[in-house]
Amino acid sequence: MSKDIKNITEDIMNQIEQGKIKMKPKIYFIIGSIITFIGLISALIVSTFLFGLIRFSLRTHGPMGEYKLDQIMSNFPWLTIVFAIVGLILGVWLIRQYDFSYKIKTWFIVVGFVLAVMITGWMIDVTGVNDSLLKRGPMKGMMSNYFNNNNIQPGMGWRK
Amino acid sequence: MTDIEKLTDEELVEKIRSNDYNLYAVIIDRYKNKLLRYAVNIVHDDDRASHIVQDSFIKTYTNLKGFNTNKSFSSWIYRIVHNESINIIKKYYKEVSILDDFDFGSDENIEEDFEKKEVVLKVGKCLKEIPLLYSEPLSLYYIDDKSYQEISDILRIPMGTVAVRINRAKKLMKKTCQKI
Repeated sequence: MSKDIKNITEDIMNQIEQGKIKMKPKIYFIIGSIITFIGLISALIVSTFLFGLIRFSLRTHGPMGEYKLDQIMSNFPWLTIVFAIVGLILGVWLIRQYDFSYKIKTWFIVVGFVLAVMITGWMIDVTGVNDSLLKRGPMKGMMSNYFNNNNIQPGMGWRK
Repeated sequence: MTDIEKLTDEELVEKIRSNDYNLYAVIIDRYKNKLLRYAVNIVHDDDRASHIVQDSFIKTYTNLKGFNTNKSFSSWIYRIVHNESINIIKKYYKEVSILDDFDFGSDENIEEDFEKKEVVLKVGKCLKEIPLLYSEPLSLYYIDDKSYQEISDILRIPMGTVAVRINRAKKLMKKTCQKI
């Protein structure tokens, strides 16, 4: 048998007795779980909002109601898509940290998360929560900036 | 058999967490040889495997309060050794042959059963020849006597994938062992 492995019990127990190895407190793991959960919910909310913003920007059009490819391309929210995708990747990665996740195939988790984001985004859009966000709440500033930067008047092309 | 030896791993962990840290020696003695054999099957190097096992026991102790005693301690500690071994492979991986005279220190007296020793050695050589993706679940199933559920918990893959990999590993072993 390897000499190292024969002495392993003694070595480790000596280190424990001398206080060189210490158990991390329970609170460390509780805080870790809470942060993971908050991160997951945040990733879901941010991705949903950003997908809602993409859907909105694709419905907006020029003052005369025209839809032109170059206008769509120039106004297309590429950065929003990048953030939405980063939010999705982060969300899927956080789900993978949970014990149950490995029992489910990765592609199933990815599809499930994307579907959850899209369905929630669609429901928010249909129920008019987007309108509330536009008029008040934490997203008001962001939406106003988006409209100003893209020369869009609020209500233009908005679902009635 | 003393009362301590009758305790399950999870019961021991509960006691260690309640400041009876000397009992951690019982955990180390229960697992050191099994984990060394498992690490050697992954990294094919006894010195590195010894360090992996030592680091894993330290990591296990520091994270002991994060372990859920409703789950299997065995699967948890094997998972830690798996992660440590994979980290070492990523860092240093070189093809190093398994030492023929390496004694795993098993409780079983394999000296008495020469035929079994031959089989174990041959299986060890064959395992080295097939990819880790297949050799690891196979060694856990046949050498460490783990169930599909436990292998699924250790490797964090669905049980169906465990079954598929073991099946493919057996086919690969058949081909490889015939050549050796």
